Amino acid sequence: MTKETGTSKPGAREIMKRLTQDYYGEAARARQEGRRVAYTTAVSPAELFVAHDVIPVYPENHAVMCIMRRMTPTLSAAIEKKGYTTHLCAYARSDLGYRELDESPIGGLPDPDFLLACNAQCFTLTKWFEVLSRRYQAPLFVLDTPQYIRNDKARRNIIRYVEAQIYELIGALEDLTGRRFDFDRLREVLTLSREACRLYKEFLDLARHRPSPISIFDVLIHMAIIVYLRGTPQAVDYYQTLLEEIRTEKVAKGIGVINNERFRLYWENLPVWFKFREHSELLSSYGAVILTSLYVHAWSYDFDPSDPIRSLAENYTGVFSNVELEERAEMALDLFRRYALNGNIMFLNRSCKAVTFGEHELREILTRETGVPALVFESDMGDPRFYSEVQVKTRLQAYFESLERLNI
Amino acid sequence: MEDPVISELSAIANYPYDMLREYKRQGRRIIGSTLPDVPEELVHAAGLLPFTILGTNRPIRRAGALLPDNSCSLARSTLELVLTYETGLFDGFILPQVDDTTQHLSDIWRRRIPSSFFEPYLVPRQVDRPSSRQWLLDETHRLKESLERYTAGVISDGSLRRSIVLYNRNRRILRRIYAMKRKTPGLISNRAFFELIKSSMFLPKERHNRYLEQLLPRLEQELPSGRTRNLRFVVAGVVWEPPSLMTILDELGIEVVGDDLCTGTRYIEADASTDGDPVGALVDRHFHRGPFSPIHDKGNRILANLLDLVRQHGADGILYLRLKFFESQDYDLPDLKREIQAQGIPIYVLDTEYQTIHLAQTKTRIQAFAESLPGGGT
Repeated sequence: MTKETGTSKPGAREIMKRLTQDYYGEAARARQEGRRVAYTTAVSPAELFVAHDVIPVYPENHAVMCIMRRMTPTLSAAIEKKGYTTHLCAYARSDLGYRELDESPIGGLPDPDFLLACNAQCFTLTKWFEVLSRRYQAPLFVLDTPQYIRNDKARRNIIRYVEAQIYELIGALEDLTGRRFDFDRLREVLTLSREACRLYKEFLDLARHRPSPISIFDVLIHMAIIVYLRGTPQAVDYYQTLLEEIRTEKVAKGIGVINNERFRLYWENLPVWFKFREHSELLSSYGAVILTSLYVHAWSYDFDPSDPIRSLAENYTGVFSNVELEERAEMALDLFRRYALNGNIMFLNRSCKAVTFGEHELREILTRETGVPALVFESDMGDPRFYSEVQVKTRLQAYFESLERLNI
Repeated sequence: MEDPVISELSAIANYPYDMLREYKRQGRRIIGSTLPDVPEELVHAAGLLPFTILGTNRPIRRAGALLPDNSCSLARSTLELVLTYETGLFDGFILPQVDDTTQHLSDIWRRRIPSSFFEPYLVPRQVDRPSSRQWLLDETHRLKESLERYTAGVISDGSLRRSIVLYNRNRRILRRIYAMKRKTPGLISNRAFFELIKSSMFLPKERHNRYLEQLLPRLEQELPSGRTRNLRFVVAGVVWEPPSLMTILDELGIEVVGDDLCTGTRYIEADASTDGDPVGALVDRHFHRGPFSPIHDKGNRILANLLDLVRQHGADGILYLRLKFFESQDYDLPDLKREIQAQGIPIYVLDTEYQTIHLAQTKTRIQAFAESLPGGGT
């Protein structure tokens, strides 16, 4: 239960805590209430599950919680013994390790009745979910989103392919539950999802203010709800409250995340989850604040409830990790322009091949187009064994010195 | 004495680029493609010379700055080959995408390697539902139209069907030789046989067929070489690199009787129909291939296929070639290995990669595995 004092409304943080508890509680009770649980990937048309009263559960989110508690080395060691290698995704290793040791920060996840892997985000998820599908003898549906190449004909075909698969997925959900899929309900869910995504994007765009009232570290905390509760009225209420709160307490008063804002940074790739609090403190000592990344924008979808299947297909196929490198660079450059960014940290993430493998090329484009040098460092988003504190600190210091010298 | 055809094709399999330069001098336009599953018949029917680019064991110099060192060595070395070692040979490229690495490779390649033709080939990464067939049909038509624009010509049904006949012929002879190899151990060395397949990925099919047609009757008449073949292996994985791997199996008296490799069975299995719509026939052929780790299919077809190969060909064990940093294999392996062992079938996992391999160690390891098998002791 959340503690409420007097008549004041609960804050966003409190709401998030309650929503998270409710959500995991609901998932845990699903089986006894005769409801189905589907594991799904963070970038996937989860609205279909919400509309069909199947509870979407995100092993990635749970893996992040394991990482934040620094459980990954132990969890990973358990599956390394079974023959999995350390160069697999830290989410996958944390998740598979949790299943081996049954150690979880939240008492675990319910077993899946169904799995959906959408490969717009990455291809690893398909293989990871294949392992889970075998383990639980639950069907896996791979929603295949070919790279959204910039070719009109290919794009028309790709959308047609993804739409056909969404209909196949709906058929699979009907088989799973024995109930007819309700398209009117899908429109309602998509309307709620659109609203939550719109508010989430407004929240991200608060970083345009100078000084910025939010940093990426705030976003990384508050993005959880858009990932697992989009399509619900709770997500809409939550982002409304969050926006009001920041506008009243920060924007209206001109309060920034740091009071000596000098460097407004772009961050490429996923966060180093187990380090982000420390990174934030370290950066502020240089007058630097990381404002945004393409990663956090991956959930600012724009749905059209009047054409739900097409809209789902377009939004989930066109995500930054599934477009050509040049288009991804344009998406990043748009953030540089809109948020007036003057620094660029590019994290080469051993865990995430899907986001990292094009990064050398991306760096070249971003550096050329912005004139802002990039700090590139290699580590892992979840496994501290691949993180070198000294190296990161030294590189950061040298980077800010060079930005100062260049008078950026 | 090795058959002159085998010697010649082995030489080409080991270094095809002098030959390719000669074709280039003759005015042939060469379209290079990477693994796997590009419908070369389309390229051929467009009057172009298809060629499969298969990486290099020479050192990585420039690709390392473009693809991180935890990416698969096949991708890195293939990129290196066209960036550094065999430059200016290709007029165009077709890059199939099956996973994260090939998707990025396609982007990097398009940006870094000048060519007058470039297409990604977006093969379906699920083949367990009807939508994947329609998608591949659309995508194959797109590739066909793009080739037609490039050559300012038309790929007629007739010419495509003729290419299909030519390619089917090649696959059939290679499958026939494989069947003879299984039946008569020692008839042709593992190295020579797999180099027949590799050279087919390099040579114009007309020429390769002529070679095979000379070789086939000679093999049919030949008696077993008398070399001892103690054991029969199924080889699983992606590619059988480096080539000395097959020599090691030959030296150890191991007969390869089945495989699921992209540079093996996957290249020669399943023919395209010569009736009806030829593009549709190429697409149908794709769905008659065996399983491939990155492509999702229903059930555990990779396991089922390996078990089937072992039983069908009476294999003593499986040699699984794990290509370093080829991620999808790493997700398959622990379960696959456990299941195979549970069926009482011996399996040995050998880590391989382009560029470096410790041959002496590799030989010792395979030998130790072979000796542990019933009938494997010398």
